[in-house]
Amino acid sequence: MAHFLLETVWLVPCYALSGALLAVPWSPGIIKRTGPRPAGYINLVMTFLAFIHSAFVLPITWNQLPYEISIPWLSTAGLNLSIDLEISSLSVGAMVVITGLNLLAQIFAVGYMEMDWGWARFYSLLGLFEAGLCALALCNSLFFSYVILEILTLGTYLLVGLWFSQPLVVTGARDAFLTKRVGDLFLLMGVLAIWSQAGTWNYTDLAEWATTANVNPTLITLTCLALIAGPMGKCAQFPLHLWLDEAMEGPVPSTILRNSVVVATGAWVLIKLQPVFSLSPIATSAMVAIGVVTAVGGSLIAIAQVDIKRCLSYSVSAYMGMIFFAVGTQQDEAALLLVLTHALASALLVMSTGAIVWNSITQDVSLLGGLWSRRPVSGLAYIVGTLGLIGFPPLGGFWALLKLASGLWTTQPWLVGVIIIVNTLTAFSLTREFSLIFGGKPKQMSDRSPEVSWQMALPTIILLGFTLHLPLVLQSLSLLPTWETLNKDVGLLLMWSSIFGCTIASVVYLSNVIPKPIRFPLKPLQDLLAYDFYTPKLYRVSIVFTVAMISKLADMIDRLIFDGIVNLVGLVSILSGESLKYSTSGQTQFYAFTVLLGVGILGMVVSWQHWGSYLLNLMF
Amino acid sequence: MQIQYFLLLAAALFCIGIYGLITSRNAVRVLMSIELLLNAVNLNLMAFSNFLDSVAIKGQVFTVFVITVAAAEAAVGLAIVLAIYRNRDTVDMEQFNLLKW
Repeated sequence: MAHFLLETVWLVPCYALSGALLAVPWSPGIIKRTGPRPAGYINLVMTFLAFIHSAFVLPITWNQLPYEISIPWLSTAGLNLSIDLEISSLSVGAMVVITGLNLLAQIFAVGYMEMDWGWARFYSLLGLFEAGLCALALCNSLFFSYVILEILTLGTYLLVGLWFSQPLVVTGARDAFLTKRVGDLFLLMGVLAIWSQAGTWNYTDLAEWATTANVNPTLITLTCLALIAGPMGKCAQFPLHLWLDEAMEGPVPSTILRNSVVVATGAWVLIKLQPVFSLSPIATSAMVAIGVVTAVGGSLIAIAQVDIKRCLSYSVSAYMGMIFFAVGTQQDEAALLLVLTHALASALLVMSTGAIVWNSITQDVSLLGGLWSRRPVSGLAYIVGTLGLIGFPPLGGFWALLKLASGLWTTQPWLVGVIIIVNTLTAFSLTREFSLIFGGKPKQMSDRSPEVSWQMALPTIILLGFTLHLPLVLQSLSLLPTWETLNKDVGLLLMWSSIFGCTIASVVYLSNVIPKPIRFPLKPLQDLLAYDFYTPKLYRVSIVFTVAMISKLADMIDRLIFDGIVNLVGLVSILSGESLKYSTSGQTQFYAFTVLLGVGILGMVVSWQHWGSYLLNLMF
Repeated sequence: MQIQYFLLLAAALFCIGIYGLITSRNAVRVLMSIELLLNAVNLNLMAFSNFLDSVAIKGQVFTVFVITVAAAEAAVGLAIVLAIYRNRDTVDMEQFNLLKW
């Protein structure tokens, strides 16, 4: 039985995919008489099945060698593409997290999407995402990882654009697709370039190749930079981060999935490719630089937001930035741990704020307030999510950050400083959001705000439990450092930075010392952060402007020059016909003249050899 | 007396005929120019038959035919001119440019 379950674990993505397909008939255009709800229930069952299956397989894979499956896909001359699957405790663990979070997000959506008719579309896209993510977790081939990433990019477009009658949704979905697509295309360049060097796309083989590879440093650097660009777009890293902000226009349940898991797809590929990146010091330092800039920038921007969802989305970018420099400094395990703890905590935060939004309508934190006494469950979930995300023992985020920081303690202490700063800033921004939503006095929008129904409360509480139990789980898997090996300086630093950030934010926002709304002494700086460093404008004046201008120019060249040349041929024929017809003058004498002229010239040509040379001699 | 002079005279006559053919505005003068052309041809034929073929004189036979056909052709030409004149009340060649482009 156990063996059977292990061998069929590749079915997990198929469950989700079949759920996605089965949901389609409940589209309003197909089944018109019943409501759209069965689509959701089918997907819940399928996701539950996937979750159970992967959860059963997880203990089987524990302490076992990875079990590999290779399914031939395409074989042409000189190229054998096979779908390589790796069933290790890591990949199955990732599937457990994905299916578990998706199950919770889908239950949440049953409540959240109650007054929406578009369940078929929504749930089939969630199912597609789950299938794609599970397939990515299992996939051990760079090529098929790329394929899945592209499918998920399309999925993001459709899921963000769920409510396409809203203009901001349409632009947000457009940006999400194009930004991620640009990254993916660079990734494709990298994928193709690595084939010519390593001759394989299998991650295991790539890692083996990288240990002994002797390659041109420039070539491998360019390849690695291209391989970084894909995850850079996926993980919403600077400067490809605007899409995540705009993707917050989509429905909340999908945001749960996106903020926690979908952005981690890039990190997953990045971690898998880490051995290759270690070949190029420039690429790793680029990764560190991108990560640092995003982590600090993202957490600063998150502080200056007023939109409840955007406050969180920039923290997501910041944490993905930390994963970037974790991978850049060869801290794979810390990066994976960070992905796990971030996924749980971030999902919890989005669920909590989603529940607030559902009953309070507004997403503007400056219009909310005083919900703590009436929304204890959401408030507690928010607190636990916050503590699970920032470095606060004993919750998960602390251990991930500790592992990362202690790994860097001796080699790159300045990165530890970055972690501390990001941790402080994130603690500040999350506490600020908490204080604005739950603290203070009720405002008009939050005057009457009942707690949400059980469909939304239940997954929140379950996830809250998971977040709280994460340290115990890590303990039982002996993933936590023992007391002797614990780097106590780093631990204390992290703890104090969190406490510092939380305290400052509570003092600033919960006391009446500073008048609200808070004005930063430097107004331009506050605006700069609130408007996300004016990234939309930057895009518009740089890339979008350039591409638009080149397109207009190309269009003009096409219309004027190329069309013109072809049209000119026609025009010349028409004009020559129009003008040459006047040779038919209607005068018989003119015809006679042309006849004689023709005969005369012909006669001259024919008899040229008899008198031509004579004439020439006479003339010259 | 040499054949060249006859031929040159015929050529000159031919050219005068051409000139008249192309420049005359009166349709009857155009027919007269054609007669000049035919006479130039007849001169040629006579010269050749005299100098090159004085035994069989086929050229002279040709000349007789040409004169005959020229007479017939002039008759038909004049008939055409008369027919046009009846319709359009003029023999000006420049008024007969209806069949253009």
